[in-house]
Amino acid sequence: MSFSLSEQTEAKIDQVMQRYPEKRAATLPILHLIQEEKGWISDEAQNYVAQRVEVPPIKIREVLSFYTLLHTRKIGKFHFQVCRTVACTLRGGKSILQHLEKKLGIKSGETSADGMFTLTEVECLAACEIAPMLQLNDDYIGPLTPEKLDELIDGLK
Amino acid sequence: MPRITIDEQEIEVVAGATIIQAAGQAGIDIPRYCYHPGLSIVGVCRICLVEIEGMPKLQVACYTPVAEGMVVSTKSERVQQARKHVLEFLLANHPIDCPVCDQAGECWLQEYYMQFGLYDPKMQEDKNKKHKAVVVGPHVILDAERCILCTRCVRFCDEISQTHELGIFNRGDHAELMPMPGVALENPYSVNTVDICPVGALTERDFRFKTRVWYLDTTPSVCAGCSTGCNIEIHTNTERTYKAEGRRVARLKPRYNAHINQFWICDEGRYGFLHVDADNRITRPAVRQSDGFEPVSWQDALQTLAEEIEKTRHGGGKIGVIGSAQMTVEDLYVLREFSRRFLGGDKIPVHLRPFEEPYHDDFLISKDRHPNTRGAELLGFSVSPAGISKMLEACHKGEIELLFVFHHILGRGFESGYIDEAFAKCRRVIFIGSNEQATSERAHMLLPASTWVEKEGSFVNRDGRIQKLNQALAPLGESKPEWKILRDLSRILGNALAYFEPGDIFAELAASHPAFQGLSLHDIPADGLLLSTTAAEAMAVAGEPG
Ligand code: SF4
Ligand code: SF4
Ligand code: FES
Ligand code: FES
Repeated sequence: MSFSLSEQTEAKIDQVMQRYPEKRAATLPILHLIQEEKGWISDEAQNYVAQRVEVPPIKIREVLSFYTLLHTRKIGKFHFQVCRTVACTLRGGKSILQHLEKKLGIKSGETSADGMFTLTEVECLAACEIAPMLQLNDDYIGPLTPEKLDELIDGLK
Repeated sequence: MPRITIDEQEIEVVAGATIIQAAGQAGIDIPRYCYHPGLSIVGVCRICLVEIEGMPKLQVACYTPVAEGMVVSTKSERVQQARKHVLEFLLANHPIDCPVCDQAGECWLQEYYMQFGLYDPKMQEDKNKKHKAVVVGPHVILDAERCILCTRCVRFCDEISQTHELGIFNRGDHAELMPMPGVALENPYSVNTVDICPVGALTERDFRFKTRVWYLDTTPSVCAGCSTGCNIEIHTNTERTYKAEGRRVARLKPRYNAHINQFWICDEGRYGFLHVDADNRITRPAVRQSDGFEPVSWQDALQTLAEEIEKTRHGGGKIGVIGSAQMTVEDLYVLREFSRRFLGGDKIPVHLRPFEEPYHDDFLISKDRHPNTRGAELLGFSVSPAGISKMLEACHKGEIELLFVFHHILGRGFESGYIDEAFAKCRRVIFIGSNEQATSERAHMLLPASTWVEKEGSFVNRDGRIQKLNQALAPLGESKPEWKILRDLSRILGNALAYFEPGDIFAELAASHPAFQGLSLHDIPADGLLLSTTAAEAMAVAGEPG
C-alpha cells in the first residue's frame, strides 16, 4: 500500500526536520504530526518515518512500542481513556469503566465495529481533583457518574 | 598520557580511554554486561559502577573517560553494594532456569552472582512472563525471560552485520528483545549474537541440549571455510558423545585476532565442522569391487597402489594429480615432494572452477572457499581453475592412466556423464578425502583422510598470514593426514620421505624456501605471522616447476 500525507502535514514535517541537526531527533514530532492527520501509525507510516529520519524501520517500531500515546492500531473516532489509578479508583472509577463497557458494547482495549468508539484504561492523568475522570479525545471530563456518562455518549451520537 | 590511580595502583593510560579499559591495562577486571570491546558503548546495564574520588555518585566504568589524577575504586563498600543491587534488579524477573539453560557454566549472571551477588532475594511479587524458546532464525533461539536487555545483540546487528533484525520493544519491565515482526535473524553472521549474549537469552539451535559446557575441551585453531582464515576455538566433547549423536565437535567459537576477524566468524564457517563426524565419513581404505566398495587394510591398499604406480611408470604412462587448497602447507609440501620423486612431475592444479559464484562480502567471507590457496601458490601449485579442467580433458583423451584426486567434489557443474567418461578412460582413480561424495562414488580406490580438526599444520590466508592449526581430535577410524598417507606410500616405493610430524616437514620447507625462512611450525604465534611478501613472491618463482 502506498502511503501519502496531506501537503500541510508534509510541509510541517519539512519544517520540523530543520529544527534538528540530527535527523533521528525528529522522530517523535513527526509521529505526532502523522497521528494528528491519520489518527494512528500504520506500518506504512512507520516505514515512511524511517525513511525520512534515515534509520532502519525497526528503530521506529521500538519507539512506537515504548509510547502508549502513539497508536499502532486504528482507533475509534471517539477515544475514551479511563483513569484507573488510585484517586479515581477510590471514587468509583471501576464502575465508570464497567458502565462504559456496557453502554458501548466493547471491552477495555477494544474498538467498536463501526469504528466510532475506542475504550482504554490509562494511568493517572493528573486530574485527581475531578476523580473519577476520563479523557475523551483531547478533553478531560469528570467527576463522572453513570448518568453523566449516558448524557455524554448520547450527545455524541 | 593521563596518570590515574585505580585500587591504589598508579598507572599511565592512553588519553580518551574509559575506566574499564584503563583498569584492564592494570589487570583489573571490572564486571560488565553491556560493554563489549567490539561494539559501541551504551552504558545501560550498570554492573560496572565504580567510585571516583570527588564525585558524589558512582559512575559507570565503561562510559566514563579517564582524567588526569583520577582516583578510582573498584572494590569499595559502596561499589560492592551497588553491584549487589544491580544484580538483584537484573534478576528480578529472571526465571532462574539454569538447570535447563545451555548457558549455565558460562553465564555472566551466574558468574557475577557468585562473585558479587549472594544476596537474600526480597522480591515477593510474581515475575513477569515473556516469550520462551522463540526460534528467531535458522541458527538462533531466544528466551526473552533470560534477557537482561544489555543490547549487545542489537548493536551487533546494527553495527557489525548491519542488518538490523533485532530490537527492544515495549518498556519498563515489559521491555522485551525481539526480531522485527516478520523478519528472521538470518544474516551470514547471525550466531555471533549468541557468543556475545552474556546470558542464556540467545543460544545456538545446533548446540541446544547437546552437552554441558563444562565437559568441553578447547583447542585454538583456524577456520578452514575460506581464504580469510578466521581464528577459532574448537570445542570438543569426547567423553560424552552419546549425548550428541556421536558428534565429537560440539561447536566452533570465534577466537580474537586483531588482524583478521576481531571477535567474529561467519555462520557458514561456524558449521563447517558438521562433516567431521557425519555418517558419510570414510573411515577405512577401500577398493571397488563389482558390487561396491570392499574395505581393505592400509597395508594392502598402499601395496596395490605402489604396484599401480610402478606399472604405470614402467609402461611410460602418465599419472595425474588433482590437489586441493583444503590441504595444509605440510600436506601440500609432501605432495609436491612425493610427486617429484615418484609421479614424474609436480604440475599440480588445486582449484576447481566454482559451479556458481559463492556468497562473499567485504567483511570476512571470501569468494575463495579454500583456506590455503596462498600456501598452495607459494609452494608452486597451480591455482588457476584451467589446471583441473585441462587435467580432466587429458583424462578424456585417454592420456592419464592413474589419477589421484584429493578432496574435490567432481560432479555438479559438469555436463552429465563428463566425469564418468573421464574416469572411465583412466585405469585407476584414487580418491583421497574425508567424506563420501560425487568423486568417491566414482573412484576405484578410497583412502581416508583426516579432517582439519584432526590434524596439526598450517594454512596461509589471503593476506599471506601463516597460521597454525592444532589437532583437537584423534583422526576418525583409520583416517590419516594426507602427508602421512604419502609418506607411508613412499616407504613401499623405496626412497622413503622421512617425516615424523608436521614440524619436520615445516622445518625442511623453512630451510629451503625464502618465504618461510627462519620459521618453525611450533613458534607460529597465536595470531599468526605475515609472511614477507617479497620473500613470498621470490619463492613463488623459485617453487615454479622448472
Ligand atoms: S538477548 Fe542477550 S545480548 Fe541481546 S539484549 Fe538480551 S541479554 Fe543482551
Ligand atoms: S569468513 Fe571464512 S574463515 Fe572466517 S569463519 Fe567464515 S568461512 Fe571461516
Ligand atoms: S488518579 Fe485518576 S487522574 Fe489521578
Ligand atoms: S558495562 Fe557499563 S553500564 Fe553495562
